[in-house]
Amino acid sequence: MQPTQAIHAENLVKVFNGKIRAVDDVSFDVRPGEIFGFLGPNGAGKTTTVSMLSAGLRPTQGRAVVDGLEVGKEPEAVKRRIGVIFQESTADGDLTGRENIQVAAGCYGMPRAEGRKRADELVERMQIADAADRLAKTYSGGMRRRLELAVGLVHDPKILFLDEPTLGLDPQGRNGFWGFIQQLRKEEGLTVFVTTHYLDEADTMCDRLAIIDHGKIVATGSPNELKDRLGGDIVTIKTTAGAPDVTNVLSTLIGVHTVQKQDGSYRVKCANGEPFVPLAVEACDKAGAGVTGVTVKRPSLDEVFLEFTGREFRDEDAPTATDRAVMVQRVQNRFGGRR
Amino acid sequence: MLRELASLTRREFLKLGRNPQAIFTALLLPLLYLLLFGQGFNINPTEFGDFTAAQKVAILAAYFRGAPNYYSYFAAGMVGFVAVTATLFIGANVIFDKLFGIFKRVRGTPAPSAAVFGSRLIAGSAQPIALAFFVLGLALLFKHIPGLTGLEVTASVGVLGALEILAAILLLSVMFATLFLTFGILIENPQMYFAAVNLLNLPVLLTSDALYPWGAMPHWLQNVSQYNPVSLAVNVLRETLFGSSVYPYGPGIYLLGLFAWAAVLIGIALVLVRRALRPLD
Ligand SMILES: Nc1ncnc2c1ncn2[C@@H]1O[C@H](COP(=O)(O)OP(=O)(O)O)[C@@H](O)[C@H]1O
Ligand SMILES: [Mg+2]
Repeated sequence: MQPTQAIHAENLVKVFNGKIRAVDDVSFDVRPGEIFGFLGPNGAGKTTTVSMLSAGLRPTQGRAVVDGLEVGKEPEAVKRRIGVIFQESTADGDLTGRENIQVAAGCYGMPRAEGRKRADELVERMQIADAADRLAKTYSGGMRRRLELAVGLVHDPKILFLDEPTLGLDPQGRNGFWGFIQQLRKEEGLTVFVTTHYLDEADTMCDRLAIIDHGKIVATGSPNELKDRLGGDIVTIKTTAGAPDVTNVLSTLIGVHTVQKQDGSYRVKCANGEPFVPLAVEACDKAGAGVTGVTVKRPSLDEVFLEFTGREFRDEDAPTATDRAVMVQRVQNRFGGRR
Repeated sequence: MLRELASLTRREFLKLGRNPQAIFTALLLPLLYLLLFGQGFNINPTEFGDFTAAQKVAILAAYFRGAPNYYSYFAAGMVGFVAVTATLFIGANVIFDKLFGIFKRVRGTPAPSAAVFGSRLIAGSAQPIALAFFVLGLALLFKHIPGLTGLEVTASVGVLGALEILAAILLLSVMFATLFLTFGILIENPQMYFAAVNLLNLPVLLTSDALYPWGAMPHWLQNVSQYNPVSLAVNVLRETLFGSSVYPYGPGIYLLGLFAWAAVLIGIALVLVRRALRPLD
């Protein structure tokens, strides 16, 4: 591997109980300072991958290198360089926010005074200072997530692992949380590995993505690259009623991949939508078909997912926007005979 | 290692302080036993007839191994009893911390597993030790409350005796704390944990001589109870508080037996815990 990679995953495999292939030969690289998204539906193997990268779970096969350290050989050293925000809440409800951070600081061997100082900084930074001396169990979902982030950052890690960090947050909470992440990346050059099953988050927040399904990576690239692989944009052109058919006319224009006619409008897949529009309008006019409306759409990650997996992105079991959902899931995970 | 241990231990005590109900419940059990159970069963068989002084000594020796009445005998037994009952929940705490993700957070840090285990052991042993002294203090106090029988110390307890009592309480508490902590670390759900604990708890307590009058126990139970770690600790207390003339061995031997139990059980527990808490698994 090149030493320039923040995270290097090489043929990672995790088999549970000898038969469940939760992660199936996964390889990828994360560059320093980037926000790398791991997008996949529930059960795709995201959490399992994070656990293997963050020295929580030993891979059945393959290896992981984090910040130049072999995870399997130096798990403790890796733990000192990474921060992990687990999918489920891990804050101690019987302790205040500040105490939660201080205990975490102690777990990294920081002296008490330093832990106190760090806690003061972090509650300020994560905007939970007003609630810092309240028991964590009284926190709202968004505050809890910010506390988790503060705890994960206590030792000033270089690489942050976030496992579905916005699960169960309302849109406002999600935006707020991402604000912190973007800021951290900008100010501290943090590398962020984030899993999500929210397509919009993956699209707007991540520099690069890997799409994982059934334990396998089906595509990797920046959101735009991935969309480009679908062959570019989708331009929909509406013509006046009774106009002649312009399918052939449109097909011959430069950059066009396919043209589909759907009752009175044309769905054109082309490399680059915007410059195509004036050309298309002119061509239609020449052919005697007046254009009444045009839309240009970049394909969404939905379509990317469909393209690479052959099915719709399943999101039926997305949790509701309540903390309780997270809680219930956690309890089910535990009682469901895992491990 | 020490900072991690200190930080995690502090957390345990913070949590304890946040949970006054638990403290109240922990105090309530010995209080009820001392106030009701012990008083209810309190007999002094020498009062049932006209015995000579020598006969009285013989009767008390046979029944209560030299204690002046059942209550005094029982109060010493309660110290052993609480060492077991007060350590139960420390394993349960691990399970609940696992359910709430708290344990996972700690395991995600480089804090050594010895600190994770040690912090809980310290907090978990401190409570039965404190409770043991609560029991002794309360039983002594009852002597001064009209209508109640109290713990009557009939031997002279020197510094050595006090140290022996302390050692017995310490060994028994640490041993059971380790045992239940290990259960908590190995077991994943509360139902299983409490099932396991009850399976251990009741037989251990009921094969000890903590509660039964010695003279009322059948021979086979007397024999079994001699090897029971709770009995061993309780014997140290009783010998020190009421004199050792009826005991086949001195308190030092019982302490040694208790130490052997603790060494073996803690040894096994540490092997299991090390395996369960090793990094990357
Ligand atoms: N400890 C475990 N034991 C058995 N199966 C597991 C365990 N953890 C995860 N799995 C299974 O592995 C698959 C991937 O799980 P996970 O990594 O949690 O997915 P995701 O985080 O993408 O939702 C699922 O089928 C899940 O049931
Ligand atoms: Mg997951």
